[in-house]
Amino acid sequence: MTKEKESALGVYRILDLADSKGAYCTKLFADLGADVIKIERPEGDPGRAMPPFVDDTPHPEKSLYFLHRNAGKRGITLNLETSEGSDILKKLVKTADVLVDNSPPDYMANLGLDYPALQEINPGLVMASITEFGHSGPYKDCKGSNLVDYALSGVMITSGYPGKEPCLCPGTPAHDAASLYANIAILAALYMRGATGQGQYIDTSVHETSRLGLYPWIVPNYSYAINPDGPPPTSETRMGASIYPVYPCKDGLIRVVALTPRQWDALVRVLGSPEVLLTEEWRGFLYRIGNADDLYALVLEYTEKYTMLELFEAGKREGVPIAPILNIEDFYNSPHTKARDFFVEVDHHVAGKADYPGPPYKWTETPPRIQRPAPCLGEHNEEIYCSELGFSQRDLVALRGARIA
Amino acid sequence: MLPLEDIRVLSFGTGGVGPDSCKILGELGADVIKIESKDNLDFMRTIGPDINNIAGFNEANRNKRSFGVDSKSEKGRELVRQLIELADIIIENFRGGVMKNLGFDYENVRKLNPEIIYVSSQGFGGGGPFSDHQAYGPMISAASGMLSIWAQPDDPYPVGSNSPLPDHMASKHVVLAALAALDYRRRTGKGQFIDMAQTEVAASLVGEHYLDYTINKRVPKPMGNRSPYAAPHGCYACSGVDEWCAIAVFTDAEWRSFCDTLGNPPWIQDPGFADLLGRLQNVDELDKMIGEWTATRDAHEVMETLQAAGVAAGVVQRAPDTLADPQLQWLGAIVELDHPVTGKRLYPGVPFRMSGASPFPSIRAPLLGEHTDEICRDLLGMSEDEIKRLLDEDILHNPSNTEGTGRGMFD
Repeated sequence: MTKEKESALGVYRILDLADSKGAYCTKLFADLGADVIKIERPEGDPGRAMPPFVDDTPHPEKSLYFLHRNAGKRGITLNLETSEGSDILKKLVKTADVLVDNSPPDYMANLGLDYPALQEINPGLVMASITEFGHSGPYKDCKGSNLVDYALSGVMITSGYPGKEPCLCPGTPAHDAASLYANIAILAALYMRGATGQGQYIDTSVHETSRLGLYPWIVPNYSYAINPDGPPPTSETRMGASIYPVYPCKDGLIRVVALTPRQWDALVRVLGSPEVLLTEEWRGFLYRIGNADDLYALVLEYTEKYTMLELFEAGKREGVPIAPILNIEDFYNSPHTKARDFFVEVDHHVAGKADYPGPPYKWTETPPRIQRPAPCLGEHNEEIYCSELGFSQRDLVALRGARIA
Repeated sequence: MLPLEDIRVLSFGTGGVGPDSCKILGELGADVIKIESKDNLDFMRTIGPDINNIAGFNEANRNKRSFGVDSKSEKGRELVRQLIELADIIIENFRGGVMKNLGFDYENVRKLNPEIIYVSSQGFGGGGPFSDHQAYGPMISAASGMLSIWAQPDDPYPVGSNSPLPDHMASKHVVLAALAALDYRRRTGKGQFIDMAQTEVAASLVGEHYLDYTINKRVPKPMGNRSPYAAPHGCYACSGVDEWCAIAVFTDAEWRSFCDTLGNPPWIQDPGFADLLGRLQNVDELDKMIGEWTATRDAHEVMETLQAAGVAAGVVQRAPDTLADPQLQWLGAIVELDHPVTGKRLYPGVPFRMSGASPFPSIRAPLLGEHTDEICRDLLGMSEDEIKRLLDEDILHNPSNTEGTGRGMFD
């Protein structure tokens, strides 16, 4: 019998009061072994209502978004807006290392659940607050959303086909930027706690993390381009295929990154060194950007002679990065994806068995894994309320009846 | 006190993912040493007018010291091995095989330093048929399925963004991994090796679309800005050139507030728009009518008007807008740093605060080899004579023997 390896964060309990702004944060912690308890309102996390659904059947246990971003967590229901509910949260806080909260400014304070109150109960608690725009400042009470924050981030103006409406990056990039910075700050705080024994409060927002995190170079690119000798700003609009061209080939599309003269030379060799591309001027990156349409028409004739894989391999051989544009099915079925065992089977009580994207890295000592499927609404109420917090079955029934659990 | 002030990180790599992740560890207080060589430059040093004057490089390499060394020479490698013995974390994102060729792969490194935490992040990861392929951010989105759905339905082909997403999402996963491994090591004394494929990070970020395939047997198609659970949900052209405001209406209450703000014109009272289902079914007409309203208005005015009514709206900002963004100004999100070659420039700061930590440092990027001498002296215990000799032999690099390197490579 092989001994099961330890997990990296198995010693930690994380209370997850997060909605979509923090779901990815706590999912990554669950992958690394943390005991993540997702605490939902009795009516359920709004993420449960997000389509698409399994078999296109709207159902609180069938949202694909919810299933992916909450895999690995346990789940209970709890209404914090009752005094019994907030007392129960305090009981849980005593047992926890981390609390992730997404509520708007002042919400937790009004419930008597702000950090000073919780720290009194558990001085080692690390509490991370992810708001939309921050706890103070002129936008404090503004409404955010993944789309709106992506727009404000400065990245959206560069996203999408030139001349058309800017295009949202798939997934929830603004929310995930906030999640990832929360991951970083929480782990930094836990590391400090190892030395000091003290927890701390972390304050971040979707607005600042998406602006500073998704593509930090926008501000310096602009700031440097103020210099008249510098290159023109590439961060001001949608440049489409001019910097990272997309070309059709025999069986699909490829994307090419040829920035340096050496990479350009390699691309020309990949395409069979056609005379029209050997002109010295084409070696200049800025010249290529300035004449992108002409160049596109020239290169197109040659890429169409090859398959995606041929160009991918030739690019590696010659020294120019070329990537196939794979769709969701292609990536899932790619021999490389299979060789790395990226997808893992998860069996959910309602949604059934399916392959899920696994943790996006391999660890030698503490392999991450999806510990369990996303919790059904209140699935672990009995386990946590009765076995861990000492409520009786009858208490739990009463709590449910009063819409506290 | 800073979280990582007792931690030393060696940063090997190039471009975005490795450098950005080490920058963040530096902001958290770690002593980050970037190992670089003038003969094999971080490619970001090569795409501007001067190796020390490139915006992206100088952003991604803040909060680091630069150790310039010829890693192809045996003596240079010996010095790097000595630094490895003094390090807690190694992060690298070179093309697959490069670290092995230098003798700095995990198998070799762990012999020198068994407790080391070693995070290796390639486009396609280590292992598997594509592991030696080079990949930049824009190719990660392409090869991971993400780009195939990053488009409007009627675009001729997907282009995603000229910002290299998801590079800087992958780099945050690297930091998270390094910190979690460090926490584990603090408790157990055990280091480890972490192999990250940036394509898998991208796939994880769009995981729900993968479930649509594995569960519903459907290959997801691009939806542009449309949402299956919100309408209106998109960017609407405002007055001016290429000026847009994003608007997202989720609930019927938000919709009623939206209608009131527009003054309840007759078109908006069409029963077809009364509830979310109707708005989703008639979304083309809805978007057209809203576009007519926004077309004559300034994007900031649209944002302010709608936000005042409790509707999520935000200008599609450019860099100068983000500098003027009142909330980011309030938070002090942008910092100005002076640099001997570029002068004063603007950079993003740290987007979070920790109540128990000192303010995070923000230190300009190093010149190539700027800290070679002090690292040799203070960490490796070398004499001034020996340092000078190795500089003369071009085994060590510092600003005195790297000036002019890489100039003109941008053409």
